[in-house]
Amino acid sequence: MLDSLGQFGGALAHLLSGWGVLNVFWATLLGIVIGALPGLTATMGVALMTTLTFTMPHEQAILVLVCIYVGAIYGGSRSAILLNIPGTPASACSTLDGFPLARQGLAGRAMGISTSGSWLGTLFGILCVAALTPILSEVALKFQSFEFFWISVFGIVIAGTLAGGDPLKGYIAGFLGLFIATIGQEPYYNYQRFAFGSTDLAGGIGLLPALVGCFGVAEVLQAMRGPAVQAVASTIDSVIPRLEDVFKYWRTILRSGAIGTFIGILPGLGEDTAAWSSYAAARRASKEKEKYGKGSIEGLMAAETGESACVPGAIIPVLTLAVPGSAPAAVLMAAMLIHGLNPGPNLMLQTPEFFYQIVAMLLIADMSKLFFGLTLVRPLLWILLVPRERLMPVVFVLCVVGAYAITSRVFDIYVMLAFGFIGFALRELKFPMAPLILGLVLGDLLEKNLTRGLVLSGGSIAPFFTRPVSGALAAITILSILWSIPGFHARVSGLFRRRRAGSGAS
Amino acid sequence: MADEPLPLLPHEERLAPRTDLWVAAAFLTFSAAILTLTFRMPTYTDQGGQIYTAPALVPSFYGVVTGLLSLWLAVRAIRADALGPVGTGERRETGNSNARFVLAAALGVVFIVGLIGRMPFWLAATIFVTAFVAAFEWRPGLEPAARARRLGVALAIGLGTGILVTLVFERVFLVRLP
Repeated sequence: MLDSLGQFGGALAHLLSGWGVLNVFWATLLGIVIGALPGLTATMGVALMTTLTFTMPHEQAILVLVCIYVGAIYGGSRSAILLNIPGTPASACSTLDGFPLARQGLAGRAMGISTSGSWLGTLFGILCVAALTPILSEVALKFQSFEFFWISVFGIVIAGTLAGGDPLKGYIAGFLGLFIATIGQEPYYNYQRFAFGSTDLAGGIGLLPALVGCFGVAEVLQAMRGPAVQAVASTIDSVIPRLEDVFKYWRTILRSGAIGTFIGILPGLGEDTAAWSSYAAARRASKEKEKYGKGSIEGLMAAETGESACVPGAIIPVLTLAVPGSAPAAVLMAAMLIHGLNPGPNLMLQTPEFFYQIVAMLLIADMSKLFFGLTLVRPLLWILLVPRERLMPVVFVLCVVGAYAITSRVFDIYVMLAFGFIGFALRELKFPMAPLILGLVLGDLLEKNLTRGLVLSGGSIAPFFTRPVSGALAAITILSILWSIPGFHARVSGLFRRRRAGSGAS
Repeated sequence: MADEPLPLLPHEERLAPRTDLWVAAAFLTFSAAILTLTFRMPTYTDQGGQIYTAPALVPSFYGVVTGLLSLWLAVRAIRADALGPVGTGERRETGNSNARFVLAAALGVVFIVGLIGRMPFWLAATIFVTAFVAAFEWRPGLEPAARARRLGVALAIGLGTGILVTLVFERVFLVRLP
């Protein structure tokens, strides 16, 4: 215990030395601004900054990305409260009670609740990262190719099933991502798949240019197509959080923190699911249900705590299984790989100091978020009022720089542009994006583990189903798919009802 | 409110069945193309390679699954009356403008294909941002002075972006620019 605390203290001191403090400040602030601006999401912010911090030392680059991630998820609540427009999809839930509070002249109090809920949620998640990651890593060390194959498939299926929207389209998006990951040289014979003689395509589709396209460019196009944001002038009262709000709703905070962290741990779901689930659970358990949707402090607290607890939660499977818990965590994992880190079960063995650094990074980002949440109110309000016509071309230029930065190939800019159009079209056709990203990120892992498993078993697929963990994951995956078939659960519950009625009659 | 269902996020709203049928047809064609290409790939079994490591194995698996999922989508759309009279279940989103989308996309393509690599990056970025702001803030019937002021603002934003992005990323982040 003391040794762990010592290592954690060492990680804190290391991260905050030199340029560390400055990096924390600008990155968290930038994250909050990205999150607050409708049309720019946490995933886009992390993807863009991954490429732009490529030349930094790895611990400073990951620190910047964690600060962007934590800041952006929090920042989305500003526009949700003040404009009734969620800055990020994760903040959509905060509009339900945040905006009514602002209309009642309580915008400052709503922002105070958002700040305290978000800060406590992330803190709860950080404690879970510190407590659960070493245990889960131990368990994951026993996994073989069969289990990793099912974890990858499970991630994509569960993201499709539970990420919201049409599960069927989620599965299609996931398999599209997996297919895109197969473009280029394959791992055994270096055969160039789907390259059509192009040396650029033979090198494969760069993950980050594709992500910058799917999120940055697609979001620019969507923002320009959509209706203009109508700014709502609001008088702002004190943003200092009230202790009575925290103490009165401590049960809601703990429940939402646990739900948010748990949803974060599940592959591919992310902060928006965490916020909605926490909100729904709080409403079910609330003694003041009638206030929900009309400016409920408890509702806003639940949504903010849930979404922010999800951030550290989503990093747990990255560190233990190399499977991301959310879309921004998928990009964060890609950044770790680019910087030569090895996320997954071996991380705790090979680079245990990085685990302590991650916990320290999350804590630093959370404290920095609290500082900016309490101090920068007016400037953030001005930033919200920047017209999209002036903001989006600047974002587009940054996307181009970001796509080019890592490999200095103009081809990557074309990849970004193509994925911008693909991402835009898929969104318009109501395909969820999380499974697509998960497919892109997990494609390599899935292919290697499937073929390795088949080689180990001499071509038999039996071990994929008969090994205990593998079999359990297979069963959950198949059940998840069946569950999304309309009428399946009604038929299953009807079957059980008939059996009960039959046994009652006999 | 307490018992009302929570509102849907944009991607949770359903499309018209006919649109879903077109989407299913596109993905079916896509999966057929994947399978056609994978059938042409070598297996390397003649060189002693195992069939489980054949380059086509995994992409063909994805192709088959994508095809089956697309069929599922098509059947679901047909059962939801996708082949019925046009207009069934159609829902128009309000406030969206395809003209604005086409203009933004065209400006982006011209920037990437036409400007980048043909001139210094700061100049390409300046031209793109200035053109973007000027085009989207263009209002017919403005006084010449007001129009000149708007163009001046667009140029200032363009120049500021071009110079700042170049300075910050090339000098501070040491990132190479296209």
